[in-house]
Amino acid sequence: MKLSTGEKVSQIVIVVFLGLLCVSVIYPFMYMLAISLNVGSDAAKGGVYLWPREFTLYNYEVVLGNSVIQHAYIITILRTIIGTICGLFITLIAAFGLSYRALPLRNTLLGYILVTMLFSGGLIPFYIQLYNLNLINSFWVYIIPTAFSAWNMFVMMKFIQGIPDALIESAEIDGANPVRILYSIIIPLSKPMLAALGLFTAVMHWNDWFAGAFYVSDQTLIPVQTFLQQLLSAQDISVVLGSNNNQEAIARGSMLSNVTLMSIKMATVMVSALPILCVYPFLQKYFVKGVLIGSVKG
Amino acid sequence: MLASLRKYRWQYMMILPAFVLLFLFNYVPMTGIQVAFKDFHIGLTVWNSPWVGFENFAFLKDEQFWIVARNTIYIAALKFVFGFPAPILLALLINEVRNSVFKRFVQSVSYLPHFFSWIVIAYILQSLLTLDGGLVNQLITNLGGDPVFFLGSTEWFRPMIVVSGMWKEVGWNTILYLAAITTIDPQLYEAAKVEGAGKLSQIRHITIPGLMPTITIILILSMPSLIAVGMDQIYPLMNPANQPVADVLDTYILRSGLQQGYFGPATAVGLISSLISLILVVTTNKISNKMNGEGLW
Repeated sequence: MKLSTGEKVSQIVIVVFLGLLCVSVIYPFMYMLAISLNVGSDAAKGGVYLWPREFTLYNYEVVLGNSVIQHAYIITILRTIIGTICGLFITLIAAFGLSYRALPLRNTLLGYILVTMLFSGGLIPFYIQLYNLNLINSFWVYIIPTAFSAWNMFVMMKFIQGIPDALIESAEIDGANPVRILYSIIIPLSKPMLAALGLFTAVMHWNDWFAGAFYVSDQTLIPVQTFLQQLLSAQDISVVLGSNNNQEAIARGSMLSNVTLMSIKMATVMVSALPILCVYPFLQKYFVKGVLIGSVKG
Repeated sequence: MLASLRKYRWQYMMILPAFVLLFLFNYVPMTGIQVAFKDFHIGLTVWNSPWVGFENFAFLKDEQFWIVARNTIYIAALKFVFGFPAPILLALLINEVRNSVFKRFVQSVSYLPHFFSWIVIAYILQSLLTLDGGLVNQLITNLGGDPVFFLGSTEWFRPMIVVSGMWKEVGWNTILYLAAITTIDPQLYEAAKVEGAGKLSQIRHITIPGLMPTITIILILSMPSLIAVGMDQIYPLMNPANQPVADVLDTYILRSGLQQGYFGPATAVGLISSLISLILVVTTNKISNKMNGEGLW
């Protein structure tokens, strides 16, 4: 199809604008990566824009050698795995149970779920309840309170209701109970939906810093994001240098003097962001699918 | 009744864990709202602490509270005015791209920031804007200007929040609009072309009306988070220098409740904030029911 001059011009304007938008997304990460791979004292002089000028992995050695960060990483990984499995499981079985349209009291139960999406007791009563349940300063505060997601439940329920009734009915005639139907029909047919919602849940766990900052005071229980939040306002690098396991790296004191707070910060933030940057291109289509499944209005 | 309960026992058993969690973490905290009218301390329970009437609402006479309320409304309004139309415009632009490879690339890249926490966003802002060696200030000084302390400035705080918020979510929020655009009947565009309608008038008379149901739903769904502007985004970026404009209801609740231990007053502020959210959702839904004949319920 032939484009008129006006259309060509507008195509160019649009492409340039969207190109700039993409640059604005990608560039900050390249900048942070460059700073984190550059000798700190050198980066502080300015002029490092795209790639490191004096390349070093020393910032990463210091960051990865820190026992607090190592520990925080383990907490993040554990809560992401356990939290995602628990969250998907509890939400899925509830969605399956509620997908039976003939279930007595179904609308009342759905109403009780909907209310929680519109109104909440607020942060302080929630905190008091965590305190009463002894969840403050416990690893489980990351898992249990978020294990049921009303939003995901509605998405899953819509999806399950889209599975042909005939499949379920024929299994029922064969004498399968709902547990078996869930296991052998619903779960296999829901894989794309489960993948998408599982990814959302995992990202939520990976990125949550709030629970670690306010519901936990024990430093051995904080996740990476909470460590980052503490480091964000740090005034010197003692936070990272204290309790460092990598004494060999620390011992090279001459290099240590070249480490700046900014170079350490950038290395730490890249350590937390790289896993997402790495898996994102492969999983992107599932994310989009997840949003679209959720948007089917009923 | 009993027979049908028996018939559906498996289903009820599967629903049970979810309702236990809802009870513990949603409904019990709702009963905790009474703390707003009580003198609660750690050690007492929500139920046995003494009633104090509206004593905890004394903050309503406190000037500080009104500054915080004004900040909240200001930031919420700015974020809404700029943040709500942005993904619609971006979706329209992306939809006009002819080259499908570039189109997919733009989509993939623009979704990316959604997957980073606000903490990471705060680091990006810090690295770009900081006084010592931040990229933007390097550029400013190279161009002969004076460096600006963006991160501790009362003037730059709101633009920083609005722009970084848009940057993070605009791409992601186009997904639904782009999907809705594909469902618009192509014959409508053909007919418009035959009638000699230009691109802009096609967008105005076909695409945007076609998007209206999606816009309405997203508008209603965005209401609860409208007033809850603080926790994630603002708290990490707030410091003593920008606090006069940065302090919002959420950060005020965090500080007075969790950090200073004034549970009663903080719950009272939280109650007001929850009620405003609820009113916003219910009214938007009502308006949309009247205007478009459809809402969420």
